[in-house]
Amino acid sequence: MKVLRIENVDAFYGKSQALHNVSIEVREGEFVTILGANGAGKSTIMKCIMGLMKPKRGRIFFRGSDITDRPAWDRASMGIGYVPEGRRVFPELTVEENLRMGGYRLPGKKAVDENIEKAYALFPRLKERRSQLARTMSGGEQQMLAIARALMPDPVLLLVDEISTGLMPILVNHSLAIVDNLHSQGITVLMVEQNANKALKYAGRGYILKTGRITMEDTSENLKNNEEVVKAYLGG
Amino acid sequence: MDMILQQVINGIVIGSVYALTAMGAALVYGILRILDLANAAAYAMGAYAGLFLYAATGNVMLAFAGALLLTALFGLVIQKYLYVPVLDRPPIVPLIASIGLFIFVQDLLRLIAGPHIREFQVRIPFGEIKTESLTVNSTWIFIIALAAVLLLFLWYILTRTRIGLAWRATAQDLETAKAMGVNVNRVVALNYLLGYSFAAAAGIMVSMLYNSVYPTMGDVPAYKMLAIIVLGGLGNPVGTVAAALLIGLVETLVAGYVGFFLPRDAIAFVVLIIVLLLKPEGLMSKTVK
Repeated sequence: MKVLRIENVDAFYGKSQALHNVSIEVREGEFVTILGANGAGKSTIMKCIMGLMKPKRGRIFFRGSDITDRPAWDRASMGIGYVPEGRRVFPELTVEENLRMGGYRLPGKKAVDENIEKAYALFPRLKERRSQLARTMSGGEQQMLAIARALMPDPVLLLVDEISTGLMPILVNHSLAIVDNLHSQGITVLMVEQNANKALKYAGRGYILKTGRITMEDTSENLKNNEEVVKAYLGG
Repeated sequence: MDMILQQVINGIVIGSVYALTAMGAALVYGILRILDLANAAAYAMGAYAGLFLYAATGNVMLAFAGALLLTALFGLVIQKYLYVPVLDRPPIVPLIASIGLFIFVQDLLRLIAGPHIREFQVRIPFGEIKTESLTVNSTWIFIIALAAVLLLFLWYILTRTRIGLAWRATAQDLETAKAMGVNVNRVVALNYLLGYSFAAAAGIMVSMLYNSVYPTMGDVPAYKMLAIIVLGGLGNPVGTVAAALLIGLVETLVAGYVGFFLPRDAIAFVVLIIVLLLKPEGLMSKTVK
């Protein structure tokens, strides 16, 4: 079963083309990564999937149905969780309000409260800080909150955009371990990442994105041993 | 002493009216980063609706309720058919659309009701407060009370309801709010619904205060509204109320004590210039970002 299928997507910022004929597939239970340098178009792919940007050509399918023309706000409730680049927690909302926003489309307050308790069980630190404004938390705590918020709608697919941005290495490892743990609990993960070493450690399969084009697709094992990839992305 | 008190109460009355006038436009700016001058069209439209409904029913509460409802619907319709279609354009496009709508509404009012000033004399169904040297007339009491009720209602919605939470999240990060499932169009619709009816309430209040209704009565409030939005921190509701009260008080006190060394309506902009020089981010911008 394919959770996500992106078919021949072209996307533009004004006149400049950010994605060229990009096709990507994610099957149920997979942990897939898209690797690429800064500005290669990784976040653009995420925004197209989330509906925050509209591809000029191509289609996007989620669990078999064409979502290309669906507004962004319908996609969260369809089962896509989103951890944006740079965390993007709501700075002037409390931790708990941020979680509530994550569960905005859950049916009823009870479902929201239940999932907030689940999030607190997973991240006890967030429970301690529940009534604190998100902007007053450290980068690592904000990343936890961003992940917990993305889990609120019980997503089938978790989109993780550049989790390493602006975090200390130890926190990057910690965050990746959390994502890996979620994957092992059955959530399908699509993660874009600049830090290829770390991404390939956890992902089963990867795509290489170069100036808006997919240039390679293979298992993480093979990518790790590919001379070109090692040279360009693994610092070999 | 009572003279000061009298002026302060007067300033609060004017400030409450300014707060209601500017709130809708401030909230829209907070979410969409567009300036909606037509918010002041709702002000004149509300005044006329209030005038006609009062003439028809003789009941001031009914006149308010009907006028607020009418302008709220007007706000809903124009956000849906005028603003939403141009939102993905540069912000100058909705600004020009709002100026066009503002002029259109003023001329429409002129066509319907004529260009002359109409009187709006209202009997408030309760009395005034009078001490030896201080008079708070019933219109003032009515205005302050109604403004307080409306602003508290807004505060309740923004801080205690699900859509209010969505509004705050959207004002902080529109894109992420969308990704969390917030139908931004609905938040904006609520915004127009409340904002336009608040402006209508302000229009009726001013008509009652000065006993006059005319088609271009929204002109000066439109400009003053911009000063208040900037002073209030560009979309912060609490800041907007604070800025409106500040300008209302300063205007009244300067006019009352210093005299008219410059037109009263210019004072808002003098305050704006001074505050921007001292605190360029506005009075209370910290809580917006």
